Amino acid sequence: MSAGSHSELKPLTPWLFSSKPMALTLLPLALVLSLPASAQAESTDDAAARQRWHTDLGTLYAALATSTDELKQAASDYCAAPDEDSRNHLDAQWLQAYQDWQAIRLVDFGPIEVDSRAWQMQFWPDRKNLVGTRMASRLLQPTDGQPQPITQSDIDNAGVAEQGFPALEYLLYDEAMDERQLSDPLPCSLLQSISGHLADTSAALATDWTDFGDHYLATDSYTTATLHGAMQLLDSLEDKRLGEPLGMMGSPANHYLAEAWRSDASVALIAGSLHGLQQGFAPGLRQILESHQQDELADAFETQLSDTIDQAESLQSGIATGLEDDQALAQLTTLYIEVAQLRELLNQQIAVALGVVRGFNSSDGD
Amino acid sequence: MHRLPCTDQQRRRLLKLGLGSLAAASMPLPLRAMASRYEGNTAQRRWFFSAVDNLDGQHFLAGLSRDASEHFLLPVPERCHGGCLRPGHTQAVLFARRPGTRLHVIDPRRRQPLHEIEAGDGHHFYGHGVFEPSGRRLYVTANRIDDAMGLIRVYDAEHGYRLEEDFELAGIGPHEVALMPDGETLAVALGGIKTHPDMGRIKLNLEDMDPALLLIDRRSGEVIERHRPSHHQLSCRHLDIGPEGEVIAGYQFQGPEWETDHPLIARRAADGKFTETDLPESLQTSLASYTASVAISHHAPSALITAPRAGRVVMINRHSGELMASPALDDAAGARCDGQGGYLVTSGTGRVSHLDMKGQLTTLNELPLRWDNHLT
Repeated sequence: MSAGSHSELKPLTPWLFSSKPMALTLLPLALVLSLPASAQAESTDDAAARQRWHTDLGTLYAALATSTDELKQAASDYCAAPDEDSRNHLDAQWLQAYQDWQAIRLVDFGPIEVDSRAWQMQFWPDRKNLVGTRMASRLLQPTDGQPQPITQSDIDNAGVAEQGFPALEYLLYDEAMDERQLSDPLPCSLLQSISGHLADTSAALATDWTDFGDHYLATDSYTTATLHGAMQLLDSLEDKRLGEPLGMMGSPANHYLAEAWRSDASVALIAGSLHGLQQGFAPGLRQILESHQQDELADAFETQLSDTIDQAESLQSGIATGLEDDQALAQLTTLYIEVAQLRELLNQQIAVALGVVRGFNSSDGD
Repeated sequence: MHRLPCTDQQRRRLLKLGLGSLAAASMPLPLRAMASRYEGNTAQRRWFFSAVDNLDGQHFLAGLSRDASEHFLLPVPERCHGGCLRPGHTQAVLFARRPGTRLHVIDPRRRQPLHEIEAGDGHHFYGHGVFEPSGRRLYVTANRIDDAMGLIRVYDAEHGYRLEEDFELAGIGPHEVALMPDGETLAVALGGIKTHPDMGRIKLNLEDMDPALLLIDRRSGEVIERHRPSHHQLSCRHLDIGPEGEVIAGYQFQGPEWETDHPLIARRAADGKFTETDLPESLQTSLASYTASVAISHHAPSALITAPRAGRVVMINRHSGELMASPALDDAAGARCDGQGGYLVTSGTGRVSHLDMKGQLTTLNELPLRWDNHLT
């Protein structure tokens, strides 16, 4: 192969091999360097959209900080006085905080990238059931003496499978807990430790998002990054969170591939993500589309998003039970189609209209 | 220059003394010529190779003619990353993308797959490897999953790519590996990031990473030099080696993305001196803490670093580190010197470009492919 015939480089556009002297090319280069490549085609209107996004997404981070703090309190209340009311409140608060996390999951840059925080919040996909095995191991009773309660410090230093919402879901819903009392000292200490870790991480995220504002607003490439985040969320919604467990991706339906299969809360979490798009993303998107005279696309996106939310909220069950009920399965399929249409709107039509190209290598991480 | 008698041991001693180029100069000539032809002299090369995906997400090894007017695709079963050529043979090796467990040996002339080698139980590859000058031993970066020990796995290509031995690197996450001009020393970019296949690509040790640029004796596995970046979260990933034994390495910063002032390019000079390169602030900021490929010209005093998150390529003087040019190229990916002082550069958008000695980019072709990060 290296012994092939010698071949001269023949540029297709030789006029681009400028005959300009070097000095002439250096001056504009200095100006060009002040902007990242993706920013050069953007208008200043994008800065206004980023301002809107920073505010709206900040509201979602603040909501997550509040609801995880309430979850921590609910865990503490339950462990102090375990009864039906405190348990119901705990379950409801877990779901509320988990949905608030889904709402902000479209942000995959900035403070969430620090220390793998997204994984700390939610270890998923979990094809090897690491959550199950790690939590079962945490809950092992010592063969001699009393179990040592688990501290938040233990969880702060633990692996991501033990730190987030799925770990709490194990405590609240896994069938292994049928034989345990959640209110016993060991499980309750674990419940409070994980809740505390989630609350602290969420509070740090909210603060860091505010501090991140100057950098976010000053860096043009975050316009594209924010659009990419929403596009990535819709990819994941259609393919991973609905398509794979529903058997739409070439392998049989399998409810263990769904998020939150233990609690059957998968569709409620999808609704949380869709609400996040509506509150945190759509208003900023409208600003950009209007500045590109693409108001109709903004209207279409918001209408399709609203329809998709309605469909998600009309479902009474999640994927786990839905797979066993023809009527529910038909409804899940409709949701899948609604999400696919939403994805097509954003990831194709709107992306093309805005000239947004998704990098193969820029998102590679290798 | 007249030849000096020089044993392996003497050569290692010279290397330690920072006289690598003298050691290289004193190599037996046939070996030296082969190393030179293989490592650097691409002037006669008609074909370059890269991992690619097509627009449907299917994975291939691509052969690309040097003027980008021709290409061919060979299907591979998974997304691949780096590759290398086997000296003296018409074989190309393509490595599965981390945490991949296979390497694919291909005959690009007949366009046929030859071997598929498994990383072995409890191991995965990181996506890069290099042959010794004779084309017999293949050195591949790998992870021993149990204890996250970074390894160079040594395969014997003359015996069906049989695993010969492992070199432990006393570190985590070796990524790109290349051979120094002496033909005896491996340069390894040690990323320092602990991952586990069960946990996907989650980074498990961001607090106590210990990345480095390593020089290793390829026969004994002894670590001859270990250069640590100026910050423990500067993951040393990719590198290339110049004709005099200088190494340029590209970092990826693993800390907060708003800390954009950490250096991303390092240089180990031929005399062993290790420095990091400062870029103008606006350019430095735009790189978004990330570099992809590194290529050094053997015919001009330059090195090229691709920066897909900036949508740029960065050309520096390989001796001084001074910025020469940084033209825009969306999703810039692989780069390789063209043997004439310029570079062939690929992009995830499918574009193949030529960068001339002055830093001017010209599009050679646009193909319906997503070129992966490395061009061989």
